[in-house]
Amino acid sequence: MAATQATNPSQLLPLELVDKCIGSRIHIVMKTDKEIVGTLLGFDDFVNMVLEDVTEFEITPEGRRITKLDQILLNGNNITMV
Amino acid sequence: GCNRGKEEKKKKESIFDLSKYIDKPIRVKFQGGREASGVLKGFDPLLNLVLDGTIEYMRDPDDQLKLTEDTRQLGLVVCRGTSVVLICPQDGMEAIPNPFIQQQDG
Repeated sequence: MAATQATNPSQLLPLELVDKCIGSRIHIVMKTDKEIVGTLLGFDDFVNMVLEDVTEFEITPEGRRITKLDQILLNGNNITMV
Repeated sequence: GCNRGKEEKKKKESIFDLSKYIDKPIRVKFQGGREASGVLKGFDPLLNLVLDGTIEYMRDPDDQLKLTEDTRQLGLVVCRGTSVVLICPQDGMEAIPNPFIQQQDG
């Protein structure tokens, strides 16, 4: 990325932490009441994510919505927490 | 004066230094009404955050000021800077009486 890091590099960078999660199961919280659980295969600078063995949850109705296998590309626009 | 030729030199300077909040508990509000609090472990210039021991609060129509309902322990999380609307320290906040209530004299 072109942005210069004015911060002290000895702290934990968010995208480094996401990188460490590659290959692990992660839980993604969207801006809306939707959450995605899956195995992280990769991500890009915009934190669009490629996930596998994905389960999608709607939090308010408290039900599991769709279980999707194969791979999905999750648009990073609506991701709030990882 | 400023030298603006064909190149635009953009410096990514933060207007706010988050390093003073490292290892301190902070409260974060997100687009969509979510709130979370946790200890700030890291951040980047795009305002992505690493929070530890994160507690998430969700708003209901009943919620308003009640943050004790529907809290979840999330542990170590990365918060997307594109979604963050507010960051403040956990201390240094207090509830005040509503300053916007107007008293109508008949």
